[in-house]
Amino acid sequence: MPFPTEVFLFLVLIATGFMVARATNLFAAAMLTGVFSLTSACLFTVMDAVDVAFTEAAVGGGFSTVLFLGALALTSRTEKKQPAKLYPFIIVLLTGIALIIGMINLKPYGDQNAPIHSHVTAKIKQKEWAAVKRSTRPESKKSTDTPQDKAVGLPNIVTSILGSYRGYDTLGETGVIFTAGVGVMLLLMGRRREDDGASDSGSTAMPSNRQEPALDEQESNPSGVEPEPSASGEQTGEEPIS
Amino acid sequence: MKSHMRMREIVVLRVVSRVLMPYILLFGLYVQFHGDFGPGGGFQAGVIFSAALILYGIIFGLDAVQRVFTPFAVEICMALGLLLYAGTGLVSFSKNMNYLDYDVFGSHGQHYGILLIEGGVGITVASTVLMIFYAFAGRWRVSQ
Amino acid sequence: MSTAYEIFDYLSWFGLVGGGLFCIIGGIGLLRLPDFYCRTHGATITDTLGAGLILFGLFFQALKLMFDTQGNWVPDGWIVAVKIVFLGLLILLTSPTSGHALVKAAHADGTSWQEGDSDALSD
Repeated sequence: MPFPTEVFLFLVLIATGFMVARATNLFAAAMLTGVFSLTSACLFTVMDAVDVAFTEAAVGGGFSTVLFLGALALTSRTEKKQPAKLYPFIIVLLTGIALIIGMINLKPYGDQNAPIHSHVTAKIKQKEWAAVKRSTRPESKKSTDTPQDKAVGLPNIVTSILGSYRGYDTLGETGVIFTAGVGVMLLLMGRRREDDGASDSGSTAMPSNRQEPALDEQESNPSGVEPEPSASGEQTGEEPIS
Repeated sequence: MKSHMRMREIVVLRVVSRVLMPYILLFGLYVQFHGDFGPGGGFQAGVIFSAALILYGIIFGLDAVQRVFTPFAVEICMALGLLLYAGTGLVSFSKNMNYLDYDVFGSHGQHYGILLIEGGVGITVASTVLMIFYAFAGRWRVSQ
Repeated sequence: MSTAYEIFDYLSWFGLVGGGLFCIIGGIGLLRLPDFYCRTHGATITDTLGAGLILFGLFFQALKLMFDTQGNWVPDGWIVAVKIVFLGLLILLTSPTSGHALVKAAHADGTSWQEGDSDALSD
């Protein structure tokens, strides 16, 4: 085997990871995280996991980079210089060693006897392949509904596994995304409503400002500054996002 | 952020984003509905769909997006997608079948079921991503 | 048919090698040019000419997919070529725009022309 693409991509991944860990410029770190995601997407594509690669490129390379940059706009651009600590390094090292030890018993990449090719996934794959073949050949379409080989029958097996075989999981994932969105809203949007209510009222359609103006009075008025956007900006900009 | 406010005055960005927006939206819909046949699905489609709106928001300002997709509507959609997914399961529940058993929709039930739940996933992901963007961009506006 | 194959191959390799060359040139420029705006020039060379020429080369490789070795028309063989054309259009639209936005943002931020700080982004 000559120098395979996977090895090269893994090396790039490792290098990018080191760069992310070493970068003190947070802007550069955010962009390097995007590079990391894109390289992983390339790696997934090389390994024929196109759906995962797609998600990684869209979410990891696109959206989380935007989020990092959005968060950077609220904090400072550079990390504070801090001395190198031994404790996190030891944790990372031990985790790495544990992962490598766990990796030893794995079958080589692409092995026919790997668990992914010999257990329930293999059965699902066979069933789905048969169904897809049946649906592309219309003359044998009548015998679809025998209960033994009742398959989803989509050409993209990943979608049928995600949507049908693992439907509960995907429901849970959607719930996780929903919960994450609600969490971000609760953490970040409340502040905006207060300030909108104080400075320029009425641009949002949110009801229930009962409690928040009081909070606003407490938080942004101890220095006696009027909560006018340009003045209160310095305060809110320097607060850590809690 | 000065450049953020000024970005809609840069004519190249304005023109190119206007040209690209419908195609990004179309590509999002393609990924959504072509997920049965090729790579893609609700998650990716939601992110791509909202990426177009985020692009619009970055270039033309938060108010311009929020005039079309008001935060209230996006909040409703976040829950709506999840409810669409969960409600698809309830349909089969009501017919004395297992939860999320798509055979309740007839002979091509699996296809319809997956279409429905992917739609739910897409709506939830798109509106959640958009909502997270609104939250961050709203903070930018506050800290100007 | 074989002559067409050869022409496609020559054009394709011209594009691939030229694109790779421009990518390397852009990378060197990104590292070695003196200030931010010049380095943006290097980066956008990689984006436009490098990726564009590579796509040009891949387009002719994809054209070869449209016919089999006997010169018969392969159904659905044109899809890859059309996709590559769309990718090229997308890159031609987005890469110069992103470079433009980058430079405009740097200008609005007050980056000077002769800021010799070559490690501003790498460290």
